[in-house]
Amino acid sequence: MELRQRYEEDLTLVRGVLGWSALLALLAFLALLPVLAPGYFLYTASLVAVHVVIAVGLNLLVGYTGQISLGHAGFVAVGAYAAGVLATRLHVPWPGAMLGGGIAAAFFGFLVGIPALRLTGPYLTIATLGFGIAVNQVLTNWEQLSGGRTGLFLPKLAIAGVRLRDHHIYYLFAGLAAALVWIATNLVRSHVGRAFVAIRDSDIAAEVMGVNLTVYKTLAFAVSAFYAGIGGAMLAYLLGYLEPQLFTLFESIYYFSMIVIGGLGTIPGSILGAILLTILPQQLAGLKQYLPLVYGATIVLVMAVEPLGIYGRWLRIKLWFKTWPF
Amino acid sequence: MVQDMALLVQYVVVGLAVGSLYALVALGIVLLYRTSRILNFAHGDLATFGTFIAFALLTAWRWPFAAASLGSLLTTAVVGAAFFFLVIRPAKESTLLGKIVITLGLALVLQGATVILWGTGTKILPFPLSDIKVYRLGQVVVSQISVGSFAVGLALMGALYVLVQHTRVGLAMRAVSQDTVAAQVLGIPVKQIFALTWGLASALGAAAGILLAPATLLDPYMMLDPFLKGFAAAVLGGIDSMPGAAVGGLLLGVLEALFGGYVSVKFKTTLAFLIIIAVLVVRPEGLLGREYKRRV
Amino acid sequence: MRLARIGVILSLLVLAATATVAQPQERGVTDTEIVIGSSQPLSGPAAFWGQGVGGGMDAYLKVINDQGGINGRKIRLILRDDGYLPPRAVANVRELVERERVFAIVSLIGSANTFAVRDYVIENQLLWITPTADANMWAGFKDKKYLFVAYPGYVDEGRILTVYGARQMGAKSVAVFYQNDLYGQKGLVGVKRGVAEARIKLATAVSYEVTDRDVSAHALKLRQSGADTVILYALPTAGALIVREMAKIGYTPKLLSSFTLADPIMFQLAGEAWNGVTLTAFFPVPGTDAKVDAMLETLIKTNPQLRASPFNALAGVAFLEPFVEALRRTGPNVTKDGVVRAFESLRNWDGEVIRGVTFGANRRQGINRIYIVRSEGGQYKKLTDWIEYPVGF
Repeated sequence: MELRQRYEEDLTLVRGVLGWSALLALLAFLALLPVLAPGYFLYTASLVAVHVVIAVGLNLLVGYTGQISLGHAGFVAVGAYAAGVLATRLHVPWPGAMLGGGIAAAFFGFLVGIPALRLTGPYLTIATLGFGIAVNQVLTNWEQLSGGRTGLFLPKLAIAGVRLRDHHIYYLFAGLAAALVWIATNLVRSHVGRAFVAIRDSDIAAEVMGVNLTVYKTLAFAVSAFYAGIGGAMLAYLLGYLEPQLFTLFESIYYFSMIVIGGLGTIPGSILGAILLTILPQQLAGLKQYLPLVYGATIVLVMAVEPLGIYGRWLRIKLWFKTWPF
Repeated sequence: MVQDMALLVQYVVVGLAVGSLYALVALGIVLLYRTSRILNFAHGDLATFGTFIAFALLTAWRWPFAAASLGSLLTTAVVGAAFFFLVIRPAKESTLLGKIVITLGLALVLQGATVILWGTGTKILPFPLSDIKVYRLGQVVVSQISVGSFAVGLALMGALYVLVQHTRVGLAMRAVSQDTVAAQVLGIPVKQIFALTWGLASALGAAAGILLAPATLLDPYMMLDPFLKGFAAAVLGGIDSMPGAAVGGLLLGVLEALFGGYVSVKFKTTLAFLIIIAVLVVRPEGLLGREYKRRV
Repeated sequence: MRLARIGVILSLLVLAATATVAQPQERGVTDTEIVIGSSQPLSGPAAFWGQGVGGGMDAYLKVINDQGGINGRKIRLILRDDGYLPPRAVANVRELVERERVFAIVSLIGSANTFAVRDYVIENQLLWITPTADANMWAGFKDKKYLFVAYPGYVDEGRILTVYGARQMGAKSVAVFYQNDLYGQKGLVGVKRGVAEARIKLATAVSYEVTDRDVSAHALKLRQSGADTVILYALPTAGALIVREMAKIGYTPKLLSSFTLADPIMFQLAGEAWNGVTLTAFFPVPGTDAKVDAMLETLIKTNPQLRASPFNALAGVAFLEPFVEALRRTGPNVTKDGVVRAFESLRNWDGEVIRGVTFGANRRQGINRIYIVRSEGGQYKKLTDWIEYPVGF
């Protein structure tokens, strides 16, 4: 246990030789992955990056601010389709299209945040769930906009006319995810993050303490939706193809499961959850019809053994070593 | 004009028939939520599992319908209670959201088990009432099965109401739902009450499944949509109110039928949800829910 | 001494050179087996489809392998579950190709999944046998040297069915009940063309979602349209639900339907309401053809679970048959281009299930004909001979 004497020390994200070497090892691993792993795994790794972005955003809303969303696939869809429409109809290059996807989703996040000001618990669950279903039905049936069930084909990712290959896409997505994770980590340590946590723990108390609920609740929805939108745009480019059935209630439930299994209210937890729930079904794909059984049992087991999620288990292990031999 | 009227009445009748089943699903969700504050996402899959038990008893074991239904309700109740004892109780440390995810995991397990045991093919549940046989009132048509399931649904709701409001067990259930610790201090066997609630809610789900199956056909995914609608109906009516669940279910059924008929079939679910959101913005605790009061 | 050493080295070099020249081992082909892969929805709401087709393919290959395989090689099928989700289908196909190193990809169900993997498969020049999605999507598509499709186009089917209804059954005004996805929408396009061709009226088109379990409002809408004929573009569950619902409200139009409902399971699901329905078929419907019935019996003997989905199991066989025949014609030296040449040599070839398959140097659409059947007393009866439509690609 080290003693922190100055405020700057408390602000530092990475501490000590151990912290830096762990971070460097992680970065080295991520950088070397294309050499170590074959192409098909890089696709899965890029998908993990997409899910990390979405999960981190969702955790800002659910884990930090305490607002349930079971319609997150709706925000992801808005982001994906906004990027898709920008790229195909207006020929916006991909960085602009991705940003546009994030902003469009953030706008819808703000809109959903307004009724959410009055709703909590199951009521908010149904309201957000309804939003997700509405987005899906609109995208399915408004063919002029979305291409409907025929789908929407996106141009390939390219920089200066050179098409990106698997490992380029992986580096791009990993970099994007890392940047967004870094932003989120800093956001939750700022006054905004503290306001979010105050709202989660008790919104009335937070309001009494001077946290403007209207601003911060809608902000939480908008930020979370922005992450979802960026994630959706990344997914759109990764697949090169969009179809409304990519964004159903099941996806919302899937994202929700990621953050709860990983660890609510923690950034590393969102990442761990996203990794586990992306790779697990993929590795189980050979089980065929036994997949749901094994997959479901794993989820139940993880949650029963470790109520705080995977990251909670990690914290306990760390605590055990820190306090050893006591 | 007369014809327009008849069509309107027909849509309402159709909506009520579907709505009564939504209401039954909603009741199971509400019952469990009141007692344990858990939103059970496995409710639909428990119901499907129960319906398949009835199917197996009816076809492979050749039990009479009443016995098979009873057997199915009991089995499903046991599965629900077992789930409480084996998973929910040991995981009592987990947060409410954690418990929701546990029920999601259970839903996957049950769905997987149903597929492995009975396959993915669509099946017919033998039912004593016919859906082709219809009653005509002027131009309005009602099938025998709709009338039958509507009546059974109402009867079940009534029985549940009596159980919760007018029996000692019901009193204990209400006590546990209001304050678990206080109830325990007063000597109410909280553990057993929880298990009973899980069992009862699961059995209600199975009943809804058995009543739905002749109208929707039977396969492992039959409850996806009805569960969602039941959940929405429960929230519309007020998630802690049992009469609310009944009202919410019937209302949602009628709303959907009218929208489908007069506005757009493609957007009927969207429109139904928009109405629900609008209602919730005005009444955040649902139509018949208790006003939300908290200590800070 | 030195000369001898050089001689040895030279001969070794020659040996090495001939060894590498003689054995350009094709991916997924060994001396004893040929590995092929498929991604299907084996879990989730579309599992009924994937398990039938996947199970049918698996059982069919088991039968072939038990008879000694093809030219001494067994065919091993690796099935993976995609839950009907495009991202997982992409991951599955990539893993099948890059890790399992399969020789060919067979089928893949649904237009969304097909679209999602299309670029990857085409760019990597993978052999792709009959993606199970509207065949019309390939018309005008380039670079399909390694693609072979023996599956009908929904637009052509819808047009032929509608014209048949108008000319032979006297339909004046038709309503369409269709699944709100590419399958149903393409069918609707076909019906519209048929309506224009036969100069009749399209009264209404009512769509449903795969998850819809309450179609009462849909039935009322169909009745309100006053159409004398209803055309169904639906999967068995929804198809059975809508005809029961229509019977319930006393609406009894003439019924026409796409081949997806030519499943014998419909007689159980829809009961008496499934009588006098006119359907299309792209391979002989079970009960109308001795060879198909024999195949079905063999499949069920191999895997009794297939009894629940006879039509899909047979469809799985139909997807594989041309490929197996092409392998047979390729001979013992299996290469990708050899198989392509063998495929291109198929002329009006009849399998046990699929019939009249023709490919060619510039032809990748293996079948271009359907015929009409009618359900009568729990059986399908053949009404017409094959009806051809133009080859699109």
